[in-house]
Amino acid sequence: MDSHQEIISTHNLNKKFGGIVVAKNVNFSVNKGEFRCLIGPNGAGKSTLFSLLCGIEKADSGQITILNKNVTELKAFQRIKLGLGLKFQTNKAFQSLSIKDNLSISDNNFDIKKNKIAEERYQLALSEFKLKSEGAKLARELPHNMLQWLEITMILASFPKIVLLDEPTAGMSVEETLFTGSVLKRLNATGLTIIVVEHDMQFVKDVANKITVLHEGEIFSEGTAEEVSNSEEVKNIYLGRD
Amino acid sequence: MKHLLNLIDGDKDIGRGNKFWAGFFLVLICFFLYPTFVSSFRASNTAFYLLNIPMGFGLCLIWGYCGILSFGHVAYYGLAGYAYGIIAGNLLGNSWGPILGVLGGLVVCTIISGIFGYFVFYSRIQKWIIPILTLVFTLLLETFFVQTSGYQWRVGRVLLGGFNGMTNIPFFQIGTFEFEGYSFYYYCLVIVLVLFFGLRILVNSKFGQIVIGIREDELRTEMLGYDIRFLQCVTFIISANLAGISGLLYVQWGNYITPSQMGILQAALPVIWCAVGGRNSFIAVIFATILLNWLSFTLSSQGNQYALVIIGTLLVVTMVFFPRGIVVMIFEKINKNI
Repeated sequence: MDSHQEIISTHNLNKKFGGIVVAKNVNFSVNKGEFRCLIGPNGAGKSTLFSLLCGIEKADSGQITILNKNVTELKAFQRIKLGLGLKFQTNKAFQSLSIKDNLSISDNNFDIKKNKIAEERYQLALSEFKLKSEGAKLARELPHNMLQWLEITMILASFPKIVLLDEPTAGMSVEETLFTGSVLKRLNATGLTIIVVEHDMQFVKDVANKITVLHEGEIFSEGTAEEVSNSEEVKNIYLGRD
Repeated sequence: MKHLLNLIDGDKDIGRGNKFWAGFFLVLICFFLYPTFVSSFRASNTAFYLLNIPMGFGLCLIWGYCGILSFGHVAYYGLAGYAYGIIAGNLLGNSWGPILGVLGGLVVCTIISGIFGYFVFYSRIQKWIIPILTLVFTLLLETFFVQTSGYQWRVGRVLLGGFNGMTNIPFFQIGTFEFEGYSFYYYCLVIVLVLFFGLRILVNSKFGQIVIGIREDELRTEMLGYDIRFLQCVTFIISANLAGISGLLYVQWGNYITPSQMGILQAALPVIWCAVGGRNSFIAVIFATILLNWLSFTLSSQGNQYALVIIGTLLVVTMVFFPRGIVVMIFEKINKNI
């Protein structure tokens, strides 16, 4: 398969909450195997874009394509079944259940044939994030960084082709953030497409192939880490200068 | 087979391991031997405590495991009872009548709860509204059946009977054998046992895990690729059928049913059994249902007017001091000490 094939894309996506525009003519696309970061000031529409892609929110107009399939009219769980995985901004691991239960609930591979690469990715996360030996522990007994790792691993248990991670390193120490980045890079190296919303520029520079900057619901600019971080306009919107 | 045993012994209900099952079977033997020590009348009274257990199971499944409080499960109890009365009553003398009545009762429960569940879950209303909707539904049914007095409310040769209810409902029978007295007791016991093991398997299976996931976080579960509205609907239908089974057993036991079985006092009872015992444990619900039914039966048969007040007080005490249920918390305490 062509590695520059689009795996997920939107066409003229629009969404308003009342009078607030959260997505304005968004034409966003990510290629297979890419590691993409979404950045932008608070309220830029990063998390909303994830919600629109997953179908938690319905777009007012526009089209969403995942794996060459028009999913605009599909319900959230149907899109997930196509091979999408979402880690929420606020950690949503099942707090009062054991780690083992968290992971086995996440395993929804009823109709997916045993996929060797996907299984390897899952095992990689499981061993790197040291969750295997903690199986009986309740999720709420875990420190915050482990909870974030648990939710990432839960997503991998469903054998996704694209993962959307909303602030996966929020609340982590510098070492933990770096470590998470290195594991994500290894997962990406196996061909997994990863899209991350992140504020930590060091992390973004470290992992991303390409960065998309969102501002007031619009795609403001796109480019490599270097291009984006040297751009005066990007600095301006972050600092609130017009 | 080994897989099934593992599911029965799974960790989604209290009570696991050899010691628990040894105790369980010891108690079970006592239940099986009990009728040999008491009169047929006493056995039949005890059967009344047993026949309420499936409804408790139903509420336990939908509330404790799926996180949806239904305050109107007695609606399905009543519907199944009336449906059985109409079908079996019209086929009086036909030995297949009661069996068709049972099937009819469950079909009615499935259809009505399916329609109700479809509108409730697919319209994505907020969870806290569901107890009110279910309660309103059962009160509507009660009001409907109360006004069915008079000769025009007749289905075939069976009168619905209005406020006084439907009478002369036939016993359950297989072939020519009628279940009453001792045999009815065993019939209830076996049904409760089968349902208990079936539900233990269900909640420890993949289905049960997902249902628990829905209880914990609907959005997270949906975003793992599960059709949560469909699963909630299915769970609701299963639990409505469990309430229906209790309704069927009730009319087969007492041969009558009145609209007050779907009233507000009755509607509160299964919620109390589950809350007092522990809403996410079937074994706790068995204990609580038997003990609380025994308590209110004993109190009211002694002419005590305060049975409901006492049961209500017990509920408040449980909510304050044993939020996870008395039986469940005692079990946990014992488990820790062993």
